[in-house]
Amino acid sequence: MPAAAPAGSSTHASRLRSLQALGIFCGFAAGAWLGGAEAPIKLVNPDISPITISLIMVCGVFLARWSVPALIRGTSHVRNDVRQAPHLVVWAVLAGCMWAVANTLTIYAIRNVGLSIAFPLWNTNSLLGIFWGFLLFNELRHAGWKRWLGVLGGAVCMFGGATVLAIASSHQAEPGKATLGIFAALGAGILWGTMYIPYRKAYLTGMNPLSFITFFTVGELATMTMLAIAYRGATPLWHELVSARAVLFWLMLGGFVWVLGDLFQQYATKYVGISRGIPLSNTNQLWGLLWGVLVFHELRGGSQTVYAQVAGGSLLMALGAVAIALSSATEREHSSWQDAADREGQRYGVEDEYVRAGMEGREMATAPTPAQEAEGRSSGSSPQTRTLLDWLLILGTTALFVLLALMAKLPHMDIALGWAVALTVAMLALLATCGIALWRTTRFR
Amino acid sequence: MSPRKTEGSRNLFRAIATDIHFWIPFAVLVAGLFLLDKLR
Repeated sequence: MPAAAPAGSSTHASRLRSLQALGIFCGFAAGAWLGGAEAPIKLVNPDISPITISLIMVCGVFLARWSVPALIRGTSHVRNDVRQAPHLVVWAVLAGCMWAVANTLTIYAIRNVGLSIAFPLWNTNSLLGIFWGFLLFNELRHAGWKRWLGVLGGAVCMFGGATVLAIASSHQAEPGKATLGIFAALGAGILWGTMYIPYRKAYLTGMNPLSFITFFTVGELATMTMLAIAYRGATPLWHELVSARAVLFWLMLGGFVWVLGDLFQQYATKYVGISRGIPLSNTNQLWGLLWGVLVFHELRGGSQTVYAQVAGGSLLMALGAVAIALSSATEREHSSWQDAADREGQRYGVEDEYVRAGMEGREMATAPTPAQEAEGRSSGSSPQTRTLLDWLLILGTTALFVLLALMAKLPHMDIALGWAVALTVAMLALLATCGIALWRTTRFR
Repeated sequence: MSPRKTEGSRNLFRAIATDIHFWIPFAVLVAGLFLLDKLR
């Protein structure tokens, strides 16, 4: 059963510890799935324009962001969330628009300055996330210098590790337009770092991540479609989409896998805040590297210096992630989060119980209906019902992916299938264990 | 739309329009679109 409203302070403290541990676990699972999303994209012919690749991926993302919530909890929960906090739809769409612009900027950044410079620059988003979390949402208040050191030191450590890894794994792009490329990479980092303001606002107010992402993706798809039409032109874009039908499956699968990672990232943000959740999910670079090196033989024939850089960078990133994972919020810090949540609730007239239930990862404890009273039931949890719309979303998405898979062609590439299977099994194990932990602790609340 | 609903929508609009949490991401988004336009 989902946890009821906590009664005593020791129960409350124990519940907070469970949620913190869950959030950290979600952060690591997010890293694995966000990194794994790069694998299907590597199977795609580089002739297709990056904007079109992004658009096709976002189409897969859109389908996943509606069908996965329909499968897990049903879209009726989305309606309930919107009824409780309608203002958050604005922030969800805004965040989706920001994601699409940032993603397009990264294409220009890679093209102009190469991955080795671009990646660490946009990875500064986690440092900006820490800043916004502290300034706007009372994160790390009353946290003590040890936790500050753990979070900030860990984020800086991960930034350093990311820089070393990016240098080691990059294939330097042609020089030129360097300043514009640096601006593009920094712009992407600032957009992504600021995008966490809507995330945190939504989750402090009590919204379910499964509801937030359904509106997020509307902004994402609308912005990406407009950018693609503006950059490519409607007719050339259509021709490119038609000619890319053999790889549509791989790109949309990449989008689908990415959504699962992003969903864990959203839960991490909800339960440990942006200052901890975002750096943890940035471990995706390590997973991306594992896929690149083990499955696609990307560093084959590299010098000893390159291998030393990969080992050193990975170690630095892992140490940073561990430092952050060990710096969970204290009860005093959590009460500061509660103050920020109360402020949000008062400003938008959101029911106090909705806000608290959201923060504590439980269903709202509402007054039982006469029928429930007669049957001796409480109304603490709402039934997991699925409507016709939910089944249409689930079956429609499944059918489309099956159809695209039938049209898909596997390119002739040297792939280490054994490693691909091993990494997929590891990702599925993380999906299952983290999914079960989320279900048991919060019922995906 | 009933008067109560209209008033509720107006209050919601006012709360959003005076919320710094809205204007910071919005300003960053506009700046991002501007940068993207310069890069084309």
